Amino acid sequence: MAWLLLLAPLTSAFLVWVALRPYPRLSQAVSIAASGLAFLTALGIALGKVGAPAALSWVDLPGLRIEIGMTLDSLARLMLLMVTGVAFLIHVYSLGYMAEDPGRARFFGELSLFLASMIGIIVSTNFVMMYIFWELVGVSSYLLIGFWFEKNSAADAARKAFLANRVGDFGFLLGILTFWATCGTVAFDPGAARGLAGNWLAPVAALLLFCGCVGKSAQIPLHVWLPDAMEGPTPVSALIHAATMVAAGVYMLCRIFFVLELSPEALSVIAWTGGITALVAALIATQQNDIKRVLAYSTMSQLGYMVLAVGCASTTAAMFHLTTHGFFKALLFMGAGSVLHALHHEQDIWRMGGVGRKMPLTFVTFGIGAAALAGIPGLSGFFSKEEILQAAARNEPVLFWMAAFTAALTAFYMTRITLVAFLGKPRTKAAEHAKESPFVMGFPLIVLSVLAVIAGYSFFGIEHLLGGHEAEGKNPLVPMASLTAVLLGLTAGAITYGRANQERIAIPLFERKFYFDEIYDWTVLKLQEESARLLAWADQWIVGFVLVRGGAFVVSLGGEMLRLLQAGNLREYAFLFALGAGGILLLLFGR
Amino acid sequence: MSPLTILLLVEAAAIGLILLGASPKKVSLVAAGTNFLLSLWIYAQFPAGVGGYHFVENHSWIALGGLPEIRYHVGVDGISLPLVLLTTLVTLAAIWVAPAKIKRASEFYSYLLLLSLGALGAFVSLDLFFFYAFHEFALIPTFLLIGIWGAENRQFVSLQLTLYLGLGSLVLLAGIIALLGVVPAEERTFDIPRLTDYLRENPLATSQQMLPFLLLAIGFGTLVSLFPFHSWAPFGYASAPASAAMLHAGVLKKFGLYGLLRVAMPLLPGGAEAWKPWILALLLGNILFIGLTTIAQKELPAMLGFSSVMHMGYLFLGLACWNALGVSGVVLLMVAHGLSAALLFAVAGEVRERAGEIRFAELGGLARRMPFVAVAFLVGSFASVGVPGLANFPGELLIFFGSWKSQPLLTAVVVWGIVISAVYQLRAVRAVFYGDLPQHLAETGDVEGVARIPYVLLMAALLILGIWPGTLLGVVGSGVKGFLSLN
Amino acid sequence: MGTPTLGHYLVLSGLLFAIGLAGVIVRRDLLIMYMCLEIMLNAANLSLVAFSRFSHQVRGQVLVFFVITVAAVEVAVGLALLVSLYRMKRTTKAEEITALKF
Repeated sequence: MAWLLLLAPLTSAFLVWVALRPYPRLSQAVSIAASGLAFLTALGIALGKVGAPAALSWVDLPGLRIEIGMTLDSLARLMLLMVTGVAFLIHVYSLGYMAEDPGRARFFGELSLFLASMIGIIVSTNFVMMYIFWELVGVSSYLLIGFWFEKNSAADAARKAFLANRVGDFGFLLGILTFWATCGTVAFDPGAARGLAGNWLAPVAALLLFCGCVGKSAQIPLHVWLPDAMEGPTPVSALIHAATMVAAGVYMLCRIFFVLELSPEALSVIAWTGGITALVAALIATQQNDIKRVLAYSTMSQLGYMVLAVGCASTTAAMFHLTTHGFFKALLFMGAGSVLHALHHEQDIWRMGGVGRKMPLTFVTFGIGAAALAGIPGLSGFFSKEEILQAAARNEPVLFWMAAFTAALTAFYMTRITLVAFLGKPRTKAAEHAKESPFVMGFPLIVLSVLAVIAGYSFFGIEHLLGGHEAEGKNPLVPMASLTAVLLGLTAGAITYGRANQERIAIPLFERKFYFDEIYDWTVLKLQEESARLLAWADQWIVGFVLVRGGAFVVSLGGEMLRLLQAGNLREYAFLFALGAGGILLLLFGR
Repeated sequence: MSPLTILLLVEAAAIGLILLGASPKKVSLVAAGTNFLLSLWIYAQFPAGVGGYHFVENHSWIALGGLPEIRYHVGVDGISLPLVLLTTLVTLAAIWVAPAKIKRASEFYSYLLLLSLGALGAFVSLDLFFFYAFHEFALIPTFLLIGIWGAENRQFVSLQLTLYLGLGSLVLLAGIIALLGVVPAEERTFDIPRLTDYLRENPLATSQQMLPFLLLAIGFGTLVSLFPFHSWAPFGYASAPASAAMLHAGVLKKFGLYGLLRVAMPLLPGGAEAWKPWILALLLGNILFIGLTTIAQKELPAMLGFSSVMHMGYLFLGLACWNALGVSGVVLLMVAHGLSAALLFAVAGEVRERAGEIRFAELGGLARRMPFVAVAFLVGSFASVGVPGLANFPGELLIFFGSWKSQPLLTAVVVWGIVISAVYQLRAVRAVFYGDLPQHLAETGDVEGVARIPYVLLMAALLILGIWPGTLLGVVGSGVKGFLSLN
Repeated sequence: MGTPTLGHYLVLSGLLFAIGLAGVIVRRDLLIMYMCLEIMLNAANLSLVAFSRFSHQVRGQVLVFFVITVAAVEVAVGLALLVSLYRMKRTTKAEEITALKF
């Protein structure tokens, strides 16, 4: 039964790929049915009606046994519910959003592939199985970012995303190999991990595995792909690049926490990576004008929070924030998508304005999402962020202050885009003529905004699923600090952008994203490009020309010289031949 | 009669029919199809649990004074059977994608069949003489196929390829002679199983193994384009007609690896151990040097040619470390690389033919005009960069696992290859199929109807082996255990 | 004079061989050179038969049969080549046929 989780979306993806592409309606139906089925199965699992099936052996060789099985512990259950639930809503939303796209059959097929891979990561029982689906998630993300492949920017963004993830996966794979070589298994087996304890390889393995998360969850320095990934259709941004796939890195860290906790050094590196990412991304977000890019950087910043939580040894806080963030960030993206849909894909917030009045449902739901993200008390984001700040305050005081400052920035930039995009006067024709989106798009917004409000309360049961509240050591200073930060951010945002018709602050460093793209262009790309060109030259001229053709030249030179002996006179040949034969005879028998 | 002999006879008979004037493409297709089905049947009948050789046929062929007897001895075990399957499948696909209207069609198809016949013969032969002769035999049609039907610069390229491979084979021959030379005279035999058994019981002194192994490694290495003996490959493949490139890169090239696996490594383990540092150093050349060179390529077929050289680095790594995990991975990756290379070269052929252009700078946006071909290229690319779900992934993975314990640092460098290959392969996807569609390509047509079947076959094989490598690994495992006694 | 010994045969064979060789080297006409080649072959045959006779073994004579057969075939091919060469070049002089040398 539980296999349905994987099989339903996989079958859907396969059917659409092989046969259904000419029939968009049928493809949509199959794909939505598959995601619905996956959600129902996840519900069944969460309610304990569906159990884990026996594992299948995928590779069974001496020294290496790789299984395809299912872990359905509380961690996986929570994640499954969140992922399949959000995915189902986004499938429905896409019905409206993609209604006029000629390639929508393909779109739904790729969504199904993504869903299957994501579920695969969640239920993995071992490192290799996780790596398999991990890579497949990368592939489906590549396909979906490049969905509009005829756009150069989308095609480039897809490639960039895949490559940045590959670099992370390189480390991840090495980490898996290190773990296997030391512990003798690839299973998620805390018992076996004791082989690493006290070993100098423990931090090495932990940090290599963390590389996978750095790539997938867009942490500095491999984050450059995430903002560009917004070239994909907005439902994709909502599903993959906000709610689920990018969170997979954090989920992975929680899943393999039994390795990470063996090495305090590694945990500290992880916490700092997360904290720095959160801060830098929030700073960049304050100066972006593309609504989807602002959301992308805010996603990156929130992921930084989660990684920080893992680094502070609080997987509960990380998973809690992951879940609530999944809800409200999907909500924000879909709200933004609804606006883009109405404005014919105008993404610049300075070319919007006053949209709130034309699209009340979108405005209200977006506002709820923004408030949740900003951490307004009473909404889900407040509770989960609070947990993370508590964890940081316990373990890394410096990072706590950084995180609190980030919270202020978050409130600031969310106020900014909400005010600029939805309030004020329409600044373009398109904004003036905006219309509310159809109900298939509105319905998911409503469901998600309800979730974004209530998901933080204990009756909703996230923390219950995660195995109880962390009661120890609540610092009363933390909620004070975070409240102050949120209020400061809100006020600053409201004052600066209350009635603004154009940008009031210009900080090029933030606007140009700390010049990461430029730095990479000048170092990594140029370096690789030049060395590739140099080696190609060496291969062609040194190996190919000097060695190979040089060898050929020496041989043919010898041939040319010997040719002089061959004057073409038959009788001369016969004479030489006889002379030679006589000489040999003499040599052999002459003595 | 062994079904393996029938495989050879079917192709020989088809060549005969074509020379007698039968329709070349139809006859070759029927023959290749028959062979594919027959090899599937052999696979189904193959007793995976039992080690050793099956479907054996063994009788005397010729006995010359002073030389060991040459026997016609064929058979397959878990190592060669996957290669036989690969050969028949790629042959079918290569013949199917070949254009029916081509100059000197009957010769063209005869050479394709000859090429396939040589490869098949080499894989099923258990006699050193035939093992060598069949491969040598297959080089002739390769030369002719490139020389007569090749694209740019074909005369120079085919000559270079033939001389290079001929020289490699010569070194190989010297290696075989040197190998037999160090075996005591009364035990000399061309029979591979007997030789294996004898040398396992009575291993040679390492000093005796040094020279023969060196010669064999250079000989086989040249045939598999081990760095720096690779210069023949990239431009040879770039110029060859698609079907010939598919058969050579996909199938015949595997002969060198198969030879290392079947002859050089098991018979001369001491030599292998002694020369291992060299092989490890050279394979880094394949991965890093050639990998980066591939990135700099500006034309599709040349890039595929270089990438096919680069991927040999993984295989050498698996061979050099010589344990059950790595060797199983090598056999799997040999098959997988054969399939994916064939798929990619077939697509390159379609692009060359339909768009009339192979330079990246002049191509673009073709996914809109030829969606099916684009999908095939994507699948081939993903396979080639080692994405899970396609056959190359488990092969590479097993090789990495196999080599990690003894060579962690080197393996780490080699694993970087998965990033390099993603860089150039996705660049090709981007340059050829994504982005703007230039004006001069606006009328390019897609592959339609039954012409899609060969692509579908190759993709299906990649998918099946990728999702469930156990299907093949069971068979491979029996070979690895039985033949190599590796655990 | 008694019965001829092996030595006699070998001397005769050597003489024949030398005559043939000299012919091949000295003469210019391809046809004559060809006939001289045949003389050399038969010189070898003679020594083979002689050896066979004096060592009481039949192998040598068997080999001679092979040589005769092959020589006949060779003559047929060689003469055919000569005739077609003559048709093309209108000559059978060895010096004038240098097409392989360029």
